[in-house]
Amino acid sequence: MKSAAVRVFVLGAFVAVPFIETNSYWLHIFGVALIGAILALGLQLLIGMAGLLSLGQGAFYGIGAYVSAVLTLHFGVPFPIAFFFAGVVAALSSLLLVPIVKLQGSSLAVATLGFNIIIYLVLLNEDWATGGSYGLLNVPLPRIFGYELTTERDMYFFCLFVAALVYLALDRLVNSRFGRALKAISQDEDAARACGISINRYKSKCFLVAAFTAGIAGSLYAHHARYLNPNDFTFTKSIEILIMVVVGGLGSLPGAVIGAIVIVLMPEYLRSAGELRLILFGVLVVVLMGFSRGGIAGLAPMLVQRITQYRLPWQAKVSESREMK
Amino acid sequence: MSAEQFIQGIIGGLAIGCIYSLIALGITMIIRATEILHFAQGELMMIGSMAGLSAMWMVDLPFVLVLVIGMIGGGVAAMLIELSIYRTLRSLRVPLINIVVATFGVSLILQNVARLVWGSEPLRYPSLFTSRGIDLGGFAISPQLIWIVVLGFAMMVILQLFFRYTRLGVAMQAAAQDPEAAQLMGISVKKTTTYTFVVAGVMAGAAGVLLGSLFFASFNMGFLVGIKAFVAATLGGLGSLTGAMLGGIAFGLIETFAGVLISTAYKDAVGMVVLIAILLLAPSGIFIRAGRRI
Repeated sequence: MKSAAVRVFVLGAFVAVPFIETNSYWLHIFGVALIGAILALGLQLLIGMAGLLSLGQGAFYGIGAYVSAVLTLHFGVPFPIAFFFAGVVAALSSLLLVPIVKLQGSSLAVATLGFNIIIYLVLLNEDWATGGSYGLLNVPLPRIFGYELTTERDMYFFCLFVAALVYLALDRLVNSRFGRALKAISQDEDAARACGISINRYKSKCFLVAAFTAGIAGSLYAHHARYLNPNDFTFTKSIEILIMVVVGGLGSLPGAVIGAIVIVLMPEYLRSAGELRLILFGVLVVVLMGFSRGGIAGLAPMLVQRITQYRLPWQAKVSESREMK
Repeated sequence: MSAEQFIQGIIGGLAIGCIYSLIALGITMIIRATEILHFAQGELMMIGSMAGLSAMWMVDLPFVLVLVIGMIGGGVAAMLIELSIYRTLRSLRVPLINIVVATFGVSLILQNVARLVWGSEPLRYPSLFTSRGIDLGGFAISPQLIWIVVLGFAMMVILQLFFRYTRLGVAMQAAAQDPEAAQLMGISVKKTTTYTFVVAGVMAGAAGVLLGSLFFASFNMGFLVGIKAFVAATLGGLGSLTGAMLGGIAFGLIETFAGVLISTAYKDAVGMVVLIAILLLAPSGIFIRAGRRI
């Protein structure tokens, strides 16, 4: 099993990270990158597999974060239950989108974006529950079966654990009957319908799964950052998640993870550029978009192929002359 | 709601609606010609606004000239982006979604370049008209708003005339409708696409000067307004010019009256709820049938 070996190796590399880089600031950022990876994986299911251009993932992320924070902070609910509820409430609220899943392409994008703006305004204005623009302070540290995740390293490992679970779950989902149906829908809706696939039901389920993933990512974020502000969950967040997925490579789960890591870490590494940081970031996004069809995940195999099949000029001539004969 | 509030709501809604319409027209033209969802359109508006303001700092100009300079600013910025970025991306034959994501990158670049050039503080437009209100049977209406409505409508009429009566305008429409047939008729689709971006940028630049004169000009004024213009264009049916125009005005009115009648905090949410409701009833927008001819 080649792919299993690769997976174990990659997981091992992720586990090794906190032993190599012990600076707690960087571990915090790596945790954020893993949360970003969970978000990107969820959106990859929507865009990459089902071809649904959604700009509303930031809303579910926000719902999950606030549900988890409010439950633990005001009601003393234990973290594992709040974590689970964050996903469930986000998934249930995605049912509000059921009527709009039948929209096509750009209409769907704009409608989901509208949904995100509505949720943002609710988070901002219902300050009896969300703290409004002051935000929620002192979200408690996660405590799992009596063990409190106090250090950044603990939190990193927990994020890694959840991200790995989400990856495996989505991987199984994509290679199941459900995933094949989604692929059929994204390629040709009419043909899929003719094959007996109920389009709207599959699309709604897809939104449900993606919203659940975004919800648990939100819960992780709430207890990782320990401070929530509605401004973290505007449609800019949704756009950021979209950039992660497209930069990483459409339709590829490893691509979503790579894209998330690149998009979260790049601004940190560009920090030394000061004022030019965001300009450089924009330029990099544009350049990456032109680079290859499959994002970074598509770029790597292409490079490997170029290098392994590279021929020196005289070699090319030799083979040509051989063909001539 | 008194009659005075009502009239002021109408005028205010029309003014902001005209601004949305001008931006939405550009978005729609670009979608028709290239299928690109251009999320940097709001930033073109911001560039136009800044260009007009900078010109006014240097010389004391009449408002119409400021508007023209804003239009030139938006048009030039759009042309540079199209030639350097979008044309390159199209020639690389990347999938459409890559270009759409690249427009977010462009939006980020334009915002931050503008922040470097013009600073991050909101900049005040000098008062362009006498601040004394026009007396309209007992209550006052700001002349600023009326000018915005008049100029906005004038721009839209000129755009329609351009599309109907000039060779270039007709060629642009032909290329948008059927690029292959247009190419066979001897139209350079490559060129008309660039012109489409220029005209869209000019419209956005005009919107920028009008919006700046109403509030402030700042490096981040464009993003939210651009998104709202997108909503307006969708409301009217993406791909129809008349739809974009009416959608913008409808969205401006909805937003203004929602602010007065329902709540200021949720005025944006009302617009979005209306959008989602309309998309459900008529998935291709309200004005698509009226707009198909143009």
